[in-house]
This record gives sequence, C-alpha cells and structure tokens, in this order.
Amino acid sequence: MSEWWSYGLADLLLFSPRVYYRLFETINTVWWLVVASAFIAGLIAFGLAMRHGHRGNRVILVLLSLIWGWVSYGFLWQYYMPINWAVPYFLPGFVAETALLMMFALRPLPLRFGWRGDLSSYFGVGLVACAFLIYPFAGLIEGRDLIQAELFGSAPDPTALGTLGFVLIARGTWRWLLLPVPLIWCVLSSVTLWVMDQQIALVPLIAVWLTVFCGWLDLKNGVTTRRITEAELAD
Amino acid sequence: MSDIDRRRFLQATTAFGAFGAVASLGLNKTALAQGLRAGDLPDILRKAIPSTGEEIPAVGLGSWITFNVGNDMALRDQCADVISAFFAAGGRMIDSSPMYGSAQEVIGYCLDKLGAHDQVFSTDKVWTSGDGMAQLDQTLARWNTQKFDLLQVHNLVGITDNLQLLYRLKDKGLVRYVGVTTSHGRRTEDLIAVMKNERLDFVQVTYNPIDRKVEEYLLPLAYDRGIAVIVNRPFRGGSLVQRLEGEPLPEFAAELKVESWAQLILKYLIAHPSVTCPIPATTNPGHAAENMRAATGVLPDEKMREQIAAVIGVLV
Repeated sequence: MSEWWSYGLADLLLFSPRVYYRLFETINTVWWLVVASAFIAGLIAFGLAMRHGHRGNRVILVLLSLIWGWVSYGFLWQYYMPINWAVPYFLPGFVAETALLMMFALRPLPLRFGWRGDLSSYFGVGLVACAFLIYPFAGLIEGRDLIQAELFGSAPDPTALGTLGFVLIARGTWRWLLLPVPLIWCVLSSVTLWVMDQQIALVPLIAVWLTVFCGWLDLKNGVTTRRITEAELAD
Repeated sequence: MSDIDRRRFLQATTAFGAFGAVASLGLNKTALAQGLRAGDLPDILRKAIPSTGEEIPAVGLGSWITFNVGNDMALRDQCADVISAFFAAGGRMIDSSPMYGSAQEVIGYCLDKLGAHDQVFSTDKVWTSGDGMAQLDQTLARWNTQKFDLLQVHNLVGITDNLQLLYRLKDKGLVRYVGVTTSHGRRTEDLIAVMKNERLDFVQVTYNPIDRKVEEYLLPLAYDRGIAVIVNRPFRGGSLVQRLEGEPLPEFAAELKVESWAQLILKYLIAHPSVTCPIPATTNPGHAAENMRAATGVLPDEKMREQIAAVIGVLV
C-alpha cells in the first residue's frame, strides 16, 4: 500500500474496545487451563530469577519461550488476526522472540538472571510485578469484568511488559537481542489503546522508556557487555 | 467551479427544501433528478441513483468497526440482529471494505443466517495497489455472493488500475455501479479530479454538520455530473452523537418529528439534494431502526439545515 501517508491513526483502528476485550474473555474461558498454566509458568520463571544462585537460568528461558509461542498461536493467530489484518505483519516478530529465547536457553552460557541491587534490577522487578499484578486487573477500574483480565503468559501486552522486566534483571552479552520485539509491541499496543481512548495506553509507553533508560545505564556500567564466566554460572 | 451550473444546483437546493416540507403530505415527489419517493415500505424515503434512475432507501448501513467482531459467535449474531432490524425498517444498502477486518465475512454470515442476500444493495470496495481481482475474489467469497451492486476504489488506492478493473467488471455484468471513496476530508482534490475525468456512478465522502467542506465544491460537482453520493462518518464515528447525548433537541426539531440527535443529523444529510445515502454504523438493532426512521416524514429546508449545523456547531 503506497498511500499510507493519507491515513490517520484513527483510520487504522479496526475494532471497538468491546470486541477487543471480548477476545480476552474468550481465550480465558475456552483455554482456561492453558492460560492458568502459562501464568503459573511465568510465576515460576520469576521465582527462579529471584532465587539465590543461577541454576534455573535455562528453565527461565525455556518457560519464557513457551509462553511467547503460546501468545503467538493462542492469542495472535487464533483470536487477534481475524479482527486485525496487521497481525501477519508482526506475528513473525513474536515467532522470532520465541526462537531467540529458546536459542539463549540452548547456548553454552545462557543469560544469567538475578537481583543485582542496581536501578535496572528495581525497574525490572517493577515491570514484572506490573505485568503479573497490575496490568491484568486494571480493567476492573474501568468497569470491565474479571474474566476479561489480560494475563501474563497469554495476553501480549503484559507478556511483553514482563519480558522487558526479565531482560532488565538479566546479564550477559546479546541480551539486547531480546528487547526489540517487546519494545516495538509496547509502542504499537500503546498506540492502539490510545486510539481506543484507553487510559492504560500510558503503561506500555512508560515501560518502553524505562527499559531504554535502564539499558543505557547498564551499557554504561558494563552489565550488558561483560561476559558471564563458567565460574559465575556454576554459583 | 466554472464547469458547474451553480444556479441550477441552488435552484435544486431550494426546491429540495420545499419538497421536504411537503414530503410527509404525500404530494409531488418526482420533481428533482435525485428526488425522493415513497418506497414499498410505508414512509421510507428513497433517492434516485442519477446514472440509472434506480431508487434506493435514503439511509444505509456502514460496517466500519461495528461489524469487525471476528469469530465471536455471540457478537456475530448481534450483527445479524442489526441487519434484521435494518431490513425490517426498510433499509437496503450495506457497505464494507477489505480494510474492515472481519466485517465482510460477518456480513456474509448475517445474510446467510437471515436468508437475505436478495434484499441487500451490496456495496464494497477494492483496497490494494496489488492484484485487485484477487482481492475482489476474496471479497465475493466472504460475502458469499456472486456479484455486487456497487464496487468502489477505497480511498483512491491504486486508482488507475482499480478503476479500470471495476469498469471491466461492470461491462461483464459482475457489478452494476462503480465508485470511488475517501474519508475524513482527505484527498478531496484528487477525488474531484477523478470525478471530473471518469464516468463514476457513486462517490463516498465524509459529511456531517461539523465536517462540511464537501458542500463547497464536491457536492455541487456530484450533482452537476450526475454522481450519487454516499456519506460516511455521519456521526464522526459515533463521537458526534456521544457529545450531543443529554443535550435537549432544539425546538425547531419538533417540526421534523425527530426522536434523537442521530435522526436530526441524518435528516440534515438526506435533505441535501446531492446526497443519496448516508451510511451510519451501529451495533444496536434499535439504533439501526431509529436511523432508518430518519428517512421518513418531513425534511429540513435549507434554512433549517443551517440552523441544525449552527446548533450542533455550538454544542460540540
């Protein structure tokens, strides 16, 4: 389409908030067991990340990879694509994120998750907490039913938010490869929610800003660039 | 505006207003090229498509956002209720586009469910700078139909190739009318150029008491060249009636016997001599019927149309 310049943001909104939030109601109802499993898998991954020692690093990455795979198929492919013709354009990004997480899990030296006590760690944990506890239930304030909750592990927005948090509490070279897809998704989601006049549109945008800021701090402090040693991994 | 007979247009405007005053009395209904006439259903006003003289109900049904409900069967059935109420109230034209997500497929589902493929004046669009025919094949399949009443080039996308494609389909009898659309007042100059140079049956533009740019040149041009006009975004995507909600209707609206701001706005649009059919969208069967009732009874004359625009302009 060569005439994109002639469209405004409002033109590209294809669905109403009513239909959008019904998608979460449907997936939560029809796939409740998978949705609950994915949410619990996320909690386990977070527990492992915060645990002393680093033996669960590969498990965290495998769980996150499975979660991104489920979001790609379960939500985007099954439910979101019928109402949004743009999904095929960003679905490959979700598949790439799934593959990257699995690739990091299979590397000889996977990413090392853990609390470092620096600003990035605080914001990372904050983002994960927001993804699990705040974002899913923000709709209650706006009068939506609990069954329409966007849960980490199945809904793309909290999953992207939480993944940014996980990356911020991770160390290791190339971890920045995991950032573009959730960052881009957060921006797209924020725009979609803003056009739908949803106040929560600010949250993904704040997450983007915090991640970029913390990434810059980590780069300055050498957190990102310093290689993890075998000895550290064996801790 | 040198190539437009402005005087003839203004005469028609005045005559149309006068007609509005007598329409409800069942008097002369054939004076104007795009005049109104009572249809088969009681009190439903119809307007003529200038290129053929075929008359269609003066209010249609849009599907942007409202019919994009995906595979949600409960919402699909609600859409079927909307179309059922629309037909029951005398409506015929339903408009969609490949840009509207699942709307085409949902319309096809509704028409199948209602067994109403023969009742609809089917209106869709081609929206690609690639293979227009491939997209139209997909559109036909989604509607579960063999041909369309009207196909339009959406937002002038790939206008040269797509317009030629639609002309060929018209020659083959696969579509009865050809048109071009735009919205939000964008690319108006380009649309005017196409209207001047092509043999269009329809154009579709944004028009409402707030967005009146088309009144200056485009609507008179359409009248002069005998092009039917479909009006999209009559309620500015719903925001206009939301803003007016709770405000009392102006006293003069009693003369028009309108029940709501939505009906007042639709009467404002229908009363313009160039306008053939506004296409409000809704998810509410009651609103679909209410919108159709705007195509009944008295229409505002030019003076009252200005009053409507002024009042709404102050309130929003």
